Amino acid sequence: MPLIINDVYPKKLFREDGKRLDGRENNEIRPIKMKVGVISNADGSAYLEWGNNKIYAAVYGPREVHPHHLAKPDKGILRVFYRMATFSVFERKRPAPGRREKEISMIITDCLEPVLFLELYPGTAFEVFIEVMDADGGTRCASTTVAALALADAGVPMRSLVSAVAVGKIDGQLITDLSGIEDKAGEADLPCAITWFNEELSLLQFDGDMDLDELNESLANAKTALNEILQIQLKALKSKYTTILEEQEGGES
Amino acid sequence: MNIRRVISTIEKKYIIENLKKGERIDDRGLWEYRKMNIAHDIIASAEGSAEVTLGETRIMTGVKYDVGEPFPDIPDEGVCTIMAELLPLASPLFERGPPDEQSIELARVVDRGIRHADCIQTKKLCIQENKLVYILFVDMYVMNYAGNLIDAGGISALTALISSRIPEGELKDGNLEWTGKYLTGKDIVKELPLILTYGKIGDIIFLDPNLPEELVSEGRISISVTKDKIVSIQKSGPATFSIEEIQELTKRSMEIGKNIREKLNLWQYKVSND
Amino acid sequence: MENEELESEELDEFESEETDREIVVPGEVLTEDVEHFIPGRGTLLNKNKTKIIALNIGLKQIKKNYINVIPLRGFYTPKPGDKVIALVIDKNPVKYKCDINAKDLAVLKPRNAIKRGRIKSFRGGSQGSSNMESEEFEVGDILIAKIISADRLNMPELTIVGKYLGKRVNGIVITIDPPKIPRVIGRNGSMIKLLKNLTKCNIFVTQNGRIWIKGENIAYERLLFDAIKKIENEAHTVGLTDRMSHYIESEKQKRGIK
Repeated sequence: MPLIINDVYPKKLFREDGKRLDGRENNEIRPIKMKVGVISNADGSAYLEWGNNKIYAAVYGPREVHPHHLAKPDKGILRVFYRMATFSVFERKRPAPGRREKEISMIITDCLEPVLFLELYPGTAFEVFIEVMDADGGTRCASTTVAALALADAGVPMRSLVSAVAVGKIDGQLITDLSGIEDKAGEADLPCAITWFNEELSLLQFDGDMDLDELNESLANAKTALNEILQIQLKALKSKYTTILEEQEGGES
Repeated sequence: MNIRRVISTIEKKYIIENLKKGERIDDRGLWEYRKMNIAHDIIASAEGSAEVTLGETRIMTGVKYDVGEPFPDIPDEGVCTIMAELLPLASPLFERGPPDEQSIELARVVDRGIRHADCIQTKKLCIQENKLVYILFVDMYVMNYAGNLIDAGGISALTALISSRIPEGELKDGNLEWTGKYLTGKDIVKELPLILTYGKIGDIIFLDPNLPEELVSEGRISISVTKDKIVSIQKSGPATFSIEEIQELTKRSMEIGKNIREKLNLWQYKVSND
Repeated sequence: MENEELESEELDEFESEETDREIVVPGEVLTEDVEHFIPGRGTLLNKNKTKIIALNIGLKQIKKNYINVIPLRGFYTPKPGDKVIALVIDKNPVKYKCDINAKDLAVLKPRNAIKRGRIKSFRGGSQGSSNMESEEFEVGDILIAKIISADRLNMPELTIVGKYLGKRVNGIVITIDPPKIPRVIGRNGSMIKLLKNLTKCNIFVTQNGRIWIKGENIAYERLLFDAIKKIENEAHTVGLTDRMSHYIESEKQKRGIK
């Protein structure tokens, strides 16, 4: 049954003044807020607001593997579970995980694994639970970003952080950080993630149409944006401690 | 954090000995709630939403709507269904997978606690009798489990409904069209039922069990009250309650309910209808 | 009042002068001077051997020419010799299985659970259990134990034979972040001594992040919980011992505890 108000895909994705529909420049990322240590029961956790995306990530581990047959005797395993809340999207989503969620879970697992030292934890698992409570484009990138924070917050040894962002093309122009509408109505979408220890891509997908020059330029734009994302992650990780340090300095005469 | 289903004997002893003296580790009385926090209208994609924290327990609830045919036995009433998920990220005690007994109990107790006694105005959720009604989905997600999901769940569900903005539809020549207006909290919710959950260990009964208290409790009872009525009662766990205890608890619930209702002032979370 | 052996070898890494107040995160470059410095705890040399990188979130520390990272977050890894607080979660005739806040459960065999003062002299060759009485434990018991073996492949093994080890019959156990435990003990036990004196509580701190507490009354115990939580949150700061002293005294006033 169609809803009373339906999801609109606007014809034009740029305004009269040349800016994107939400007022951004082509290479501008949306406002992002991150915080760690938000789920007290988890071994590590983080929360992120990226535009209208609101995503929680929590880490448990190393712990026993259920079901047991998935455990590996020579190394630990990483399991990522990406799920979306029923109310996170325009039309209510069925509660059970669908194929898209399972695919994204796998992609994020592959993306985060290179930074971990799984061989140190044989027979056990690190489980990362990602819950998207509100979605607005680029959720797999936002989820990867917040999951990396949660792992660091858990004190899991990592070669480096991982940052992710989606670049793409809308109305013929190359842009950074696609919102929900831009993702749905645009011409190309390229989500990617970088593992900083070797500065290589550990998540890469592409949908749409671009020529070779556009692709190269998009990857360069992505690198710039990824650096911006990293700075926000670093600030979130450290601010838990630096605010307390600052308070001490202020108080000491 | 290290919670196991096995709670240590000395912790159980500690909790009971202190409860007997009217003391609790979080410095509360036996009939006091932990600190509660409510945020509303936080999910852009949802028609209504609320996040409630009760101590360290955190629940996020969202409301989505759909339209469809009414149930044949109530042709002029809309439908409001409540679901709960105990997310695995909320506790090492929660497993992944379809809703288990605990999630189903949470959903059903909250459902009975807030829907009965005409608290949700399902008659107003009707577009055309026998043909088309609104279907409201109230989905609760437990984000952190630190005891007493029911009371936090009830308030989050109620607040999410109060903060809702559902596009108003009408049938014109068989087509569903938007009137340009919205149904808001006052159209959906009539009363403000609050659910109060008590734990019982031995002879001691206390309000709002935190996690260790809940794991040690032999029984639990949830009583839902509006300003002048008892709306629902649910007893769970193997403990038994005497009739006098039930009478005392319902009386207490009305009083505590009244105080909490005033303090929370849930109508402030209604959004405007334009 | 119990007196625990203080682990005097336990240096408070957090307060030492060699520890920076700089918070580092995984992947952060600690130095590019690989000629002079050697990667220590919590660090790694990168593939091209040009940088030393932090692996954990923590405090940077330079000791001689080692660069270390003192982790601020992390899970407990059992080591032989560690004292731990164990919760019995399963038992069968040949062993107890215990939760020690680590990725594996630990095992306590009856021969390592000998009742104190009941060890009779060993008759040559005979290993019969009639010579020694093992203490019987139940699921839910809290034990102060020591790790006798721990390796990658097997479950860690415990013993309760030893000073201060054994079952606890009262008090309560709280759990904090294992890396913060040295901070609760303090340099030469300075922090734990302060906590004991000011809150009049018995305290036993173990390596697996668990702390056993027994105070005169719940008001003192609550104060101690809050103090430990404060230590956990501010472990990375300087002057914490003085600040804790100040905090506890002022809280006592505020809460009306003598």
